[in-house]
Amino acid sequence: MSEIDTKYFGRITLDAGSVIEFPQGLPAFEWERAFLAIEHPRTAPLVMLQSVLTPELCFLAIPVADVDPEYELRVCTEDRVALGLDETSDLPTGPDLAVLALVAVRADQQITVNLMSPVVVNRANRRAVQSVRWDGEYSHEYSITGLPARSSVLGQSCW
Amino acid sequence: MLVIRRRAGESVLIGEGVEVEVLEIAGNQVKIGISAPRDILILRSEVRVTAEQNELAARSMPFASLASLLGKMKQSPQGPQSPGDKA
Repeated sequence: MSEIDTKYFGRITLDAGSVIEFPQGLPAFEWERAFLAIEHPRTAPLVMLQSVLTPELCFLAIPVADVDPEYELRVCTEDRVALGLDETSDLPTGPDLAVLALVAVRADQQITVNLMSPVVVNRANRRAVQSVRWDGEYSHEYSITGLPARSSVLGQSCW
Repeated sequence: MLVIRRRAGESVLIGEGVEVEVLEIAGNQVKIGISAPRDILILRSEVRVTAEQNELAARSMPFASLASLLGKMKQSPQGPQSPGDKA
Protein backbone atom coordinates (compact mmCIF):
# COMPACT_ATOMS: atom_id res chain seq x y z
CA MET A 1 0.00 0.00 0.00
CA SER A 2 1.28 3.43 -0.86
CA GLU A 3 -0.21 6.88 -1.10
CA ILE A 4 -0.76 9.08 -4.11
CA ASP A 5 -1.77 12.69 -4.57
CA THR A 6 -4.98 13.23 -6.49
CA LYS A 7 -6.51 16.19 -8.28
CA TYR A 8 -9.79 16.30 -6.36
CA PHE A 9 -9.36 14.24 -3.20
CA GLY A 10 -5.97 15.19 -1.84
CA ARG A 11 -3.70 12.36 -0.74
CA ILE A 12 -5.29 8.95 -0.75
CA THR A 13 -4.14 5.46 0.02
CA LEU A 14 -3.49 3.46 -3.05
CA ASP A 15 -4.65 -0.12 -2.92
CA ALA A 16 -2.73 -1.88 -5.68
CA GLY A 17 -5.72 -4.10 -6.37
CA SER A 18 -7.86 -1.15 -7.38
CA VAL A 19 -5.55 0.18 -10.08
CA ILE A 20 -6.83 -0.02 -13.64
CA GLU A 21 -4.14 -0.73 -16.17
CA PHE A 22 -4.17 0.80 -19.64
CA PRO A 23 -1.52 -1.27 -21.48
CA GLN A 24 -1.28 1.32 -24.29
CA GLY A 25 -2.14 4.45 -22.36
CA LEU A 26 -4.65 6.75 -24.07
CA PRO A 27 -4.21 8.80 -27.26
CA ALA A 28 -2.15 11.91 -26.34
CA PHE A 29 -1.40 10.25 -22.98
CA GLU A 30 0.38 7.11 -24.09
CA TRP A 31 2.67 7.12 -21.04
CA GLU A 32 -0.25 7.13 -18.58
CA ARG A 33 -0.76 3.43 -17.91
CA ALA A 34 -2.37 3.33 -14.47
CA PHE A 35 -5.56 5.00 -13.23
CA LEU A 36 -7.89 4.79 -10.29
CA ALA A 37 -11.64 4.97 -10.85
CA ILE A 38 -13.08 7.16 -8.11
CA GLU A 39 -16.76 7.77 -7.56
CA HIS A 40 -18.20 10.34 -5.22
CA PRO A 41 -21.86 10.54 -4.19
CA ARG A 42 -21.95 14.29 -4.87
CA THR A 43 -20.78 13.85 -8.41
CA ALA A 44 -22.63 10.67 -9.38
CA PRO A 45 -22.88 9.36 -12.03
CA LEU A 46 -19.48 10.79 -12.93
CA VAL A 47 -16.51 8.50 -12.56
CA MET A 48 -13.16 10.18 -12.04
CA LEU A 49 -10.24 8.49 -13.70
CA GLN A 50 -7.30 9.64 -11.64
CA SER A 51 -3.82 9.05 -13.00
CA VAL A 52 -1.57 7.22 -10.56
CA LEU A 53 1.49 8.83 -12.17
CA THR A 54 0.32 12.45 -12.52
CA PRO A 55 -1.68 13.98 -9.64
CA GLU A 56 -3.10 16.81 -11.77
CA LEU A 57 -4.42 14.45 -14.43
CA CYS A 58 -7.93 13.29 -13.68
CA PHE A 59 -10.35 12.56 -16.49
CA LEU A 60 -14.04 12.90 -15.86
CA ALA A 61 -16.04 10.07 -17.33
CA ILE A 62 -19.66 9.04 -17.42
CA PRO A 63 -21.08 5.58 -18.07
CA VAL A 64 -22.08 5.46 -21.71
CA ALA A 65 -25.41 3.94 -20.72
CA ASP A 66 -26.24 7.14 -18.81
CA VAL A 67 -25.80 9.13 -22.00
CA ASP A 68 -27.24 6.71 -24.53
CA PRO A 69 -28.99 3.62 -23.13
CA GLU A 70 -29.09 2.22 -26.66
CA TYR A 71 -25.34 2.53 -27.17
CA GLU A 72 -24.01 -0.41 -29.13
CA LEU A 73 -20.46 -1.24 -28.14
CA ARG A 74 -18.07 -2.43 -30.81
CA VAL A 75 -14.48 -3.27 -29.93
CA CYS A 76 -11.85 -4.07 -32.56
CA THR A 77 -9.67 -7.18 -32.33
CA GLU A 78 -6.57 -5.32 -31.15
CA ASP A 79 -8.45 -3.77 -28.27
CA ARG A 80 -10.06 -7.08 -27.33
CA VAL A 81 -6.60 -8.60 -27.07
CA ALA A 82 -5.43 -5.68 -24.91
CA LEU A 83 -8.42 -6.28 -22.64
CA GLY A 84 -7.66 -9.98 -22.44
CA LEU A 85 -10.94 -10.87 -24.13
CA ASP A 86 -11.68 -13.55 -26.65
CA GLU A 87 -11.07 -12.16 -30.14
CA THR A 88 -14.11 -13.63 -31.77
CA SER A 89 -16.86 -14.39 -29.27
CA ASP A 90 -19.47 -11.90 -28.13
CA LEU A 91 -18.41 -9.17 -25.73
CA PRO A 92 -19.25 -9.85 -22.11
CA THR A 93 -22.27 -7.93 -20.93
CA GLY A 94 -23.45 -6.63 -17.60
CA PRO A 95 -21.01 -5.76 -14.85
CA ASP A 96 -17.99 -7.49 -16.44
CA LEU A 97 -17.27 -4.55 -18.74
CA ALA A 98 -17.47 -0.92 -17.72
CA VAL A 99 -17.95 1.39 -20.68
CA LEU A 100 -17.23 5.04 -19.98
CA ALA A 101 -17.20 8.18 -22.11
CA LEU A 102 -14.69 10.92 -21.33
CA VAL A 103 -16.21 14.31 -20.59
CA ALA A 104 -14.83 17.55 -22.07
CA VAL A 105 -15.89 21.12 -21.49
CA ARG A 106 -15.45 23.16 -24.65
CA ALA A 107 -14.44 26.80 -24.80
CA ASP A 108 -18.11 27.75 -25.31
CA GLN A 109 -18.97 25.87 -22.07
CA GLN A 110 -20.77 23.11 -23.94
CA ILE A 111 -20.23 19.81 -22.18
CA THR A 112 -19.54 16.97 -24.54
CA VAL A 113 -18.65 13.32 -24.25
CA ASN A 114 -16.62 11.23 -26.64
CA LEU A 115 -18.87 8.37 -27.70
CA MET A 116 -16.56 7.58 -30.62
CA SER A 117 -13.80 6.47 -28.25
CA PRO A 118 -15.22 4.88 -25.11
CA VAL A 119 -12.97 3.75 -22.30
CA VAL A 120 -13.67 0.05 -21.87
CA VAL A 121 -12.65 -1.58 -18.60
CA ASN A 122 -12.55 -5.35 -18.12
CA ARG A 123 -13.41 -5.63 -14.45
CA ALA A 124 -12.23 -9.22 -14.29
CA ASN A 125 -8.56 -8.35 -14.87
CA ARG A 126 -8.71 -4.55 -14.41
CA ARG A 127 -7.37 -3.87 -17.87
CA ALA A 128 -8.67 -1.00 -19.93
CA VAL A 129 -8.36 0.56 -23.35
CA GLN A 130 -9.74 3.66 -24.96
CA SER A 131 -11.30 1.91 -27.90
CA VAL A 132 -11.44 4.20 -30.93
CA ARG A 133 -14.24 3.28 -33.32
CA TRP A 134 -13.74 3.54 -37.08
CA ASP A 135 -17.36 3.08 -38.09
CA GLY A 136 -18.53 6.68 -37.78
CA GLU A 137 -21.58 5.62 -35.77
CA TYR A 138 -20.99 7.90 -32.78
CA SER A 139 -19.80 11.46 -32.25
CA HIS A 140 -16.53 12.40 -30.55
CA GLU A 141 -18.27 15.49 -29.15
CA TYR A 142 -21.77 14.43 -28.24
CA SER A 143 -23.35 17.27 -26.28
CA ILE A 144 -24.78 16.35 -22.89
CA THR A 145 -25.62 19.86 -21.81
CA GLY A 146 -29.23 19.63 -20.70
CA LEU A 147 -29.30 15.87 -20.79
CA PRO A 148 -32.47 14.72 -19.04
CA ALA A 149 -31.93 13.05 -15.69
CA ARG A 150 -31.49 9.31 -15.86
CA SER A 151 -30.99 6.87 -13.09
CA SER A 152 -27.39 5.93 -12.80
CA VAL A 153 -26.33 2.39 -13.52
CA LEU A 154 -23.64 2.93 -10.91
CA GLY A 155 -25.97 3.10 -7.94
CA GLN A 156 -23.45 1.32 -5.84
CA SER A 157 -19.78 1.37 -6.33
CA CYS A 158 -18.35 -1.57 -8.14
CA TRP A 159 -14.69 -0.63 -8.51
CA MET B 1 -6.74 20.26 -50.65
CA LEU B 2 -5.58 18.44 -53.73
CA VAL B 3 -8.35 16.31 -55.18
CA ILE B 4 -7.52 13.42 -57.50
CA ARG B 5 -9.88 10.86 -59.01
CA ARG B 6 -8.61 7.29 -58.93
CA ARG B 7 -10.10 3.92 -59.79
CA ALA B 8 -9.49 0.66 -57.98
CA GLY B 9 -5.97 -0.54 -58.74
CA GLU B 10 -4.65 2.97 -59.33
CA SER B 11 -2.38 4.77 -56.91
CA VAL B 12 -0.78 8.08 -56.03
CA LEU B 13 2.77 8.77 -54.90
CA ILE B 14 3.54 11.16 -52.05
CA GLY B 15 7.09 12.40 -51.64
CA GLU B 16 9.93 9.94 -51.96
CA GLY B 17 8.69 6.80 -50.32
CA VAL B 18 4.93 6.83 -49.88
CA GLU B 19 2.46 5.16 -52.23
CA VAL B 20 -1.27 5.08 -51.62
CA GLU B 21 -3.21 2.59 -53.72
CA VAL B 22 -6.95 2.25 -54.02
CA LEU B 23 -7.44 -1.50 -53.61
CA GLU B 24 -11.18 -1.87 -53.65
CA ILE B 25 -14.30 0.24 -53.72
CA ALA B 26 -17.43 -1.31 -52.26
CA GLY B 27 -20.54 0.61 -51.31
CA ASN B 28 -19.55 3.59 -49.20
CA GLN B 29 -16.17 2.14 -48.26
CA VAL B 30 -12.82 2.41 -49.96
CA LYS B 31 -10.07 -0.02 -49.11
CA ILE B 32 -6.66 1.61 -49.49
CA GLY B 33 -3.17 0.20 -49.27
CA ILE B 34 -0.32 2.37 -48.05
CA SER B 35 3.33 1.61 -48.67
CA ALA B 36 5.64 3.84 -46.65
CA PRO B 37 9.00 3.74 -44.87
CA ARG B 38 8.83 2.33 -41.35
CA ASP B 39 9.57 5.67 -39.71
CA ILE B 40 6.44 7.29 -41.10
CA LEU B 41 3.57 7.22 -38.65
CA ILE B 42 0.23 6.28 -40.20
CA LEU B 43 -2.87 6.85 -38.12
CA ARG B 44 -6.58 6.78 -38.75
CA SER B 45 -7.76 10.34 -38.28
CA GLU B 46 -10.08 9.20 -35.48
CA VAL B 47 -7.03 8.61 -33.27
CA ARG B 48 -5.90 12.19 -33.72
CA VAL B 49 -9.41 13.46 -33.03
CA THR B 50 -9.47 11.32 -29.88
CA ALA B 51 -6.06 12.69 -28.81
CA GLU B 52 -7.37 16.24 -29.20
CA GLN B 53 -10.52 15.42 -27.24
CA ASN B 54 -8.43 13.81 -24.49
CA GLU B 55 -6.27 16.93 -24.22
CA LEU B 56 -9.41 19.01 -23.86
CA ALA B 57 -10.83 16.54 -21.33
CA ALA B 58 -7.64 16.70 -19.26
CA ARG B 59 -7.78 20.49 -18.84
CA SER B 60 -8.08 21.65 -15.31
CA MET B 61 -11.51 21.76 -13.76
CA PRO B 62 -11.87 22.77 -10.10
CA PHE B 63 -13.97 20.50 -7.94
CA ALA B 64 -16.56 23.24 -7.46
CA SER B 65 -17.12 23.26 -11.21
CA LEU B 66 -18.11 19.63 -11.08
CA ALA B 67 -21.27 20.58 -9.24
CA SER B 68 -22.23 23.14 -11.85
CA LEU B 69 -21.31 20.61 -14.53
CA LEU B 70 -23.73 18.18 -12.99
CA GLY B 71 -26.28 20.96 -12.65
CA LYS B 72 -26.06 21.54 -16.37
CA MET B 73 -26.56 17.86 -16.92
CA LYS B 74 -29.72 18.17 -14.84
CA GLN B 75 -28.91 15.19 -12.70
CA SER B 76 -31.03 14.95 -9.60
CA PRO B 77 -29.21 16.53 -6.64
CA GLN B 78 -27.48 14.28 -4.14
CA GLY B 79 -27.36 14.86 -0.40
CA PRO B 80 -24.20 16.17 1.22
CA GLN B 81 -21.61 13.48 1.70
CA SER B 82 -18.19 13.34 3.22
CA PRO B 83 -15.54 13.80 0.55
CA GLY B 84 -12.78 11.45 -0.31
CA ASP B 85 -14.42 8.09 -0.24
CA LYS B 86 -12.38 6.08 -2.63
CA ALA B 87 -14.45 3.45 -4.26
